[in-house]
Amino acid sequence: MYDLHLSAEQLEIRDTVREFVNNEIKPVSIKPARMEALDRRPPAELLEKAAQMGLRTLALSEAQGGAGADGITACIVAEELAAGDPDVAAVLVETSTLAHILFDQLMTAEQRERFLPEFVKNDALQLALADHEPDSDTELGVNYHRAVTVAPATRTTATRAPNGDWVINGVKSFVPNAPLAGLFAVQVKTDSKAPTGQGVSTVLVPRDAAGVTIRELEQGAGWYHGLRGDATFTDCRVPAQNLLGSEGASPLAAGLEAAGRGLPLVQAMNIGVGRAAYEAALEYAGIRVQGGRRIIEHQAIGSLLADIAIRLEVARTMVWKAAWVADHPAAVADRSVADLPLQTIARVYTAEAVHQVALDAAEVFGAMGVMRDMPLQKYVQDALIFLHSGMSSDDGKLRIAELLAQFRRS
Amino acid sequence: MDFSLNDAQREWQTKARKFADEVIRSISLARDRILDPRETWDWEIIKQGSKLGFRTLAVPKEYGGPGADFVSQALVMAELARGDSAISKAFSQNWKWSHLISSVCTPEQKARFLGAFMADDTFVLGKGITEPNAGSDNRLPPEEDPRSGVRLKAERHGDEWVLNGEKCFIANANVGKLFFIDARSNPNVSIKEGVTMFLVPRDTPGFRSGKVFNKNGWRFYQNAEMIFDNARVPHANVIGETGGHSNQDKGERTGGDLFGDLELAANALGVCMAACESAMTLAKSRTQGGKLLVEQQTVQLKIGRMNMLTEALRAYVMRVAWEHDQKLPSTNAGFVMNYSTEVIQEVTQLNMDIHGGAGFTMDAQANKLVRDGIIWTHLAGDTVQRMKVVRRLTKSK
Repeated sequence: MYDLHLSAEQLEIRDTVREFVNNEIKPVSIKPARMEALDRRPPAELLEKAAQMGLRTLALSEAQGGAGADGITACIVAEELAAGDPDVAAVLVETSTLAHILFDQLMTAEQRERFLPEFVKNDALQLALADHEPDSDTELGVNYHRAVTVAPATRTTATRAPNGDWVINGVKSFVPNAPLAGLFAVQVKTDSKAPTGQGVSTVLVPRDAAGVTIRELEQGAGWYHGLRGDATFTDCRVPAQNLLGSEGASPLAAGLEAAGRGLPLVQAMNIGVGRAAYEAALEYAGIRVQGGRRIIEHQAIGSLLADIAIRLEVARTMVWKAAWVADHPAAVADRSVADLPLQTIARVYTAEAVHQVALDAAEVFGAMGVMRDMPLQKYVQDALIFLHSGMSSDDGKLRIAELLAQFRRS
Repeated sequence: MDFSLNDAQREWQTKARKFADEVIRSISLARDRILDPRETWDWEIIKQGSKLGFRTLAVPKEYGGPGADFVSQALVMAELARGDSAISKAFSQNWKWSHLISSVCTPEQKARFLGAFMADDTFVLGKGITEPNAGSDNRLPPEEDPRSGVRLKAERHGDEWVLNGEKCFIANANVGKLFFIDARSNPNVSIKEGVTMFLVPRDTPGFRSGKVFNKNGWRFYQNAEMIFDNARVPHANVIGETGGHSNQDKGERTGGDLFGDLELAANALGVCMAACESAMTLAKSRTQGGKLLVEQQTVQLKIGRMNMLTEALRAYVMRVAWEHDQKLPSTNAGFVMNYSTEVIQEVTQLNMDIHGGAGFTMDAQANKLVRDGIIWTHLAGDTVQRMKVVRRLTKSK
């Protein structure tokens, strides 16, 4: 059985989001300061409009007030949003993903009761996972196929006060959505004697808890999409009931993609950037006349556009496959698909493919392809950010290789 | 075969390296960061470099210049570009057109312009070919079709020509003092016969420069619009014969076109040298898990490839420079330029790869080198340049 039909609902969501992007996001993303990447801050009014359409709570189950979108649908929406503006997309995708994981999968009923109503009600609230710490690194490169842990060190601590409250101290850096988040899932070391990567728990911290300081990172300072900030916790107290999952066994220890079998949402956004570049190049090649004909009628440009289309189609096929398998793990168990980290495979392939797509699309524009008042150079820059932020292609390949070698870390 | 440099060549190389290390490097990133494209240019560095001979390097000794050979020119371009690609280009752009003055201008034209060029440290040159609707169109025109190619109109009125129209993306358009302008002197024939080249000084009545283009790479280098509104140029400023454009720069084998190909390749070599140094410095200083990056196989393979490509480019660049000095006809200048586009982009990307492993920030120089490298694709239509070389190859015996 092999079925590539999208459901009527999926097609409708795609059309709706595409229309929203064309009517609301693109007029903002073609403003000069945004095209020059001087101002990448996602505008609050766009995020709220998107929230009203249900895009902030896309993956949250219908029972909890979301749209209950499956993996493929989430990828379609991520691609559409990023084709308009990858920074807007990154904020919404992070929140939607975390909403599903936190509210549908990990919280107790009591926790949901305390945190869910406010989140669903307030369109401006985002969610954040505070994981990364300054100077921490998975060190996978040096530790490839070596029997040592590759989890980054967690130096932020949570200790118990006499009344059972958690007292958190430490600094998290480059936290996605931090400046907009109403609720943080914070990775903390609760067992100070445990070795690196162990004794880590997750504690839920509302933005308004005493002792939380958020510093929004300067525009242009970082090599990432969306809005990030540093989060400092100074004797920050939250009730004992804010522990997510069990103590010393954080359910988010692997981050949102480290296992390589999750939803390829970053990859879907990456494709969105490539598609925007492709659409611009295709349109221009059909209008621009040089050498007596429209440039699309020249073999050189025709082949280039074909290369672009090939790379995008192959990448999207891989992303959708990874998304579908993430939702249907039984397909691995019954040997329908290979037991591989498809999310990581999609990441490495897509980042490299879209980088080439953006460069090729810019070439179609000749000199205008490198001008800051045209979008092509921004697509190239966005593609470079996908290529060189978060997990690198090198790390991705090493993770895949460890699995090919059937190497397991204890 | 002898790959050694003579004393004069080594001296130019050392001088350029010193200038790059001590002067260019100190302003390169700051100039790159300036947001207003009109403000990135720096006359001070032009004057300093000019006093060292870098602005007039190619002017023959008989006209009072240093008369450096092509090997020296290639060495200087690479060394300056190792400091900053766009600043290197700002100097070598003048060589391209001083070649033209000394090889095809009349003695009277030389007397008027070459002396002024030699004497003034801020005298820079430019050439206007590209127009909003004539970029690739000048290089891949439909055979004999008078509608293709440059449209800037030139009409003769007695001893004067009147120019009307515009040029775009023209290097040095807003800072140059003298320009070589291709204009359509006969709209009824193809560009092969209907284009004349004019010497247009900055103070020509009816000429002005317009918008400066906001490029994402080569920020220092100024590309701007040129607007001709009944611009009046004396007939004495026609280069060669009326309608004889194609015999001027393209025909002269060490003139604008072939030099331009070597120029881009030599400049790319310097950028690759900078990228190799940047990668090695990082790999030998940053540790991961207590080990230097350079101890990792994936990093070693990238550094190996970067250096291998850079050395191959160096060998090719120097060979072409030598062929120019020996006046050997070949298509290698075009090929080395095409090759340099691939090499500069791969090498600067690999450098960014090595720097990018760190996560959420990007080294400013690694980023700049990539942006500068991307310019190669867009300079003169990379694909069009590749086909142009094959046309030369097809025609060569």
